Amino acid sequence: MTPLQDATPKKPPNYPANLEASMILPKQRASPASSLAGLPYRRSNPSLHKLFESTASISGSRPSSGTATPTPSVVSGSVFSPGSRQNGTGTPGSLPPGLSDEHRNLIQRAFVPHVAVLADADTEELIRGKGLEGGFLQLLRPFGESVPGKVTIRDSVGASKSYEDFGVRFVDVNEGSGAGRGAELRIDTANREGGRASSSSLRPRRTGGDVAHIEELVDRHLQYSEFNTQDMVSDYLNQGNPTAPSEGTSSPFYTLYLRRLLSGMPMVPHETFAHPVAGVIAISSRSKNPIEEFRKLYNRQHDGDLRLPQWAENDFLRYYVLIHDEENGDIAKSNQTFDAMKRHFGLHCHLLRLKSQQCIPSDDDSVRLPTCEWMSASEELAEIQKRETVDDMTDPAPYLPDSDITAIRTFVRELVAQSVIPNMERNVATWNEQVLARRRGLSGRFMSLSKRWTPFGSSRNSSSPTIGSSNSNYDSLQGFYRPDAPEAQMRKLADYCFMLRDWKLALSTYDILRTDFNNDKAWRHYAGAAEMAAMSALLSPAPLSSKTRMENIDTWIEVASYSYTDRQRSAAPYYALRTLALGLELLRLRSSSAADDAARWASRILETGLVGAIGNALFTERISACYAVRTGVGSLRMGSRRRKAALWSVMAAETWFQLDKALQAEKCLDTALRLYGVNIEHGEGGAVKLPFDQMQTFIDDLRQQILGLRLQNRGFDDAGEEGETREDGLGVEVEEATETFEKSPRGHRKSLIGAAAPLIDVGGPRSPLLERERRLGADEGKAEGFE
Amino acid sequence: MSYTFTILSPTDTPLFAHEFGTCRSGGDGVARFTASERALNPFILHSALDIVEEVQWGPSSSSGSAAMYLKHIDKYQNNFISCWITGANVRFLLLTRPRDEVLGLGSGAGGGARGSLAGGRAGLGGNAGGVYNPTSPATEEAVKNFFVDVYEAWVKTIMNPFFHVGNGDVVKSPVFRARVAAAAKKYL
Repeated sequence: MTPLQDATPKKPPNYPANLEASMILPKQRASPASSLAGLPYRRSNPSLHKLFESTASISGSRPSSGTATPTPSVVSGSVFSPGSRQNGTGTPGSLPPGLSDEHRNLIQRAFVPHVAVLADADTEELIRGKGLEGGFLQLLRPFGESVPGKVTIRDSVGASKSYEDFGVRFVDVNEGSGAGRGAELRIDTANREGGRASSSSLRPRRTGGDVAHIEELVDRHLQYSEFNTQDMVSDYLNQGNPTAPSEGTSSPFYTLYLRRLLSGMPMVPHETFAHPVAGVIAISSRSKNPIEEFRKLYNRQHDGDLRLPQWAENDFLRYYVLIHDEENGDIAKSNQTFDAMKRHFGLHCHLLRLKSQQCIPSDDDSVRLPTCEWMSASEELAEIQKRETVDDMTDPAPYLPDSDITAIRTFVRELVAQSVIPNMERNVATWNEQVLARRRGLSGRFMSLSKRWTPFGSSRNSSSPTIGSSNSNYDSLQGFYRPDAPEAQMRKLADYCFMLRDWKLALSTYDILRTDFNNDKAWRHYAGAAEMAAMSALLSPAPLSSKTRMENIDTWIEVASYSYTDRQRSAAPYYALRTLALGLELLRLRSSSAADDAARWASRILETGLVGAIGNALFTERISACYAVRTGVGSLRMGSRRRKAALWSVMAAETWFQLDKALQAEKCLDTALRLYGVNIEHGEGGAVKLPFDQMQTFIDDLRQQILGLRLQNRGFDDAGEEGETREDGLGVEVEEATETFEKSPRGHRKSLIGAAAPLIDVGGPRSPLLERERRLGADEGKAEGFE
Repeated sequence: MSYTFTILSPTDTPLFAHEFGTCRSGGDGVARFTASERALNPFILHSALDIVEEVQWGPSSSSGSAAMYLKHIDKYQNNFISCWITGANVRFLLLTRPRDEVLGLGSGAGGGARGSLAGGRAGLGGNAGGVYNPTSPATEEAVKNFFVDVYEAWVKTIMNPFFHVGNGDVVKSPVFRARVAAAAKKYL
């Protein structure tokens, strides 16, 4: 959609074409974002629209790469679900039709190695001079999200596989260390972080894991779509070819929710995904004594003020980068320094050549800095707020010269393909040999047995939190394993395997860890191991029999969600939500017989109240999608869950309606009616009625109310009157807030568009909305006639 | 404890619907559904048909002949659904909504909580509200007796030569309704 079209005013019937334009918008009733909504809703400016792009497009799905990671179906227990005879282990086409790999890819791309970035003051200054306030980290972040080209990973048995969508996350060194500073070494740091940080720092946090923020963000996106994309124009254009979304594509808002749930994972003791795998240390060529500068930064990070918390491994791979200033620096000197670096630090060095000049959009070969896909919810919220208040037509995103982009891409590729991944592979091999094999071997089993059964030993004592009294490595007082303990190393091994997509080794390691953590009563760790065991079992392409699924995966998900929430006082609802949400997505892709389980976990999310209002609606919608996957067999479609899916769609529609999200509500209602087999769009003559009269009335009422809400959201009341006369008894009230726009030089532009607007919405026979309403009214009349 | 009893034809058309409350332990036999619950009940019953079909054609639990009483088959939030299926594939669905304090039914100490026989005296487990065990033997037995009585009345009704179930004729007979009500009063 072009910005111009987007800026069309929301149908004020007699739009005053003077400078003091006022716009009538319905006030949000009890919206969760009301804290934020003190800001006026401005009509979109292009820079704001860019932010909402992820959900504004019709389909949020990306091309699926089914070949690399097929999801075979499962031998089932039900008579209606076909067994897995027809597809072997690796057929790419084994996904049921209409299902997309979207969320599976999303999950794979969420768990990637983290790379800490540290730059010296000169570098930061150089980058700020280019117009990037965030410094070196902001420059690198978008490029780490997907490494250009294929990345080849060798797994534990020596087989190589290439992935197109591999990435790393560049994170701030301060974030990680700051989180665990001081007395916050307790386990429940992750939960409180949100509240504490918002008061202590003005900067938006890069760490996610706060469900409330995610809800708020998705709500902003929803509001944007309510107010901006449902123009008459697009409605009119869409009317000709009603898009029937297939069952596989999910709503972009749900995808956004999942993505934000998984971005910015907090750094915690019980899992090592957010612990840095490598650290980039950058200095600029302006520095007088580069090698000394490197040492200083390294020392700061290794034992100085930027040290990671006690429970995190501090001896990770360091990667040294020299940033050469193309315009002011001397390349010969830089090359010399670079050679010295190579002598000192070995292979893990890079010379990055950047231009120091600021670049503006009108320059030749200037490229916009890509938006970060995996920023945390609070960051994106802050960004939206910033752009809304600025009300500027120009796009504030920095632009970079093409050569810079290429240089950074090359750098990231080299970093990942030649340093990070080989290093991880090496670590996996080492730990596999030294730690895991020992634990797995005969003596290891004895060790764990003796640990469990010593008469005077741990089991009695472990309840009293004396450190080192038992032979367990778990520090139950502070709630972590030291990074050099075999358990911690095994966890790291498993996490590395998971990130390198070696699901098999990851699964077996998590499984061993599960029992160990259970014996040590390290509940948070136990939950983490169970969660990841379930995930790796579900992600692995090997077929699962329904028996293993029932016995293992269900139990794992169950204990993980239970241990995350109920054990002790340190509940971690964020992780429980993650477990259930990922479990449901992956189960849904497994086969039709797993769909019931997926729906069960989804309803568990609703029952345990892990999500707020928005999440509630989104997951209700998702349950419907889970049931809809199950299509049944034969011409009668026996064993399908069509009616269940429809029920949940209706529920979702109602929930959305209560949240004032007319667009979503209507979409859900349409889905429900399609599932019920009722097509009211063409239902003039032989309309299929719903089996129960009450159902029909309920749906018709809901439809009417949603239409009314849509009209209100659009802010036109006179034209909506004919639709609303019926509803007066239903208690739908409009609260109006009149907001005045300040005088601005752009007023002239507004008036031009305002003059054009009435042409579009004459509200007569051309309006599909009114037409549908009339038709509905006619249907209603007919129904009443029959009774 | 409130109930909705519905008979559905093989083509999913409702043939008969009756709503009632428990008569046990001081219940007055009036259903206590809120307006929104009442509106949702048809949806819930309709969606349960998916599970009915699954159970109906699934592996039989009884040896030899297929059972007509499918017991408790489905649950949606606090609504429990039991099913009886006749030889002609007509489905009897009973939706049970155990009372809870929110509905404000008489808070008689304990008595109101275990509202009825079907409310699972066997599975009361000590606390008053919210514990309803649809698979406890007492509940299953009570629901079964109810279904048996209704089935008897149903067979007599469809023997009427002027009544065609296959055409989706709605049962209008007041006698049938009275019999269902009597059975409900007796067992639930």
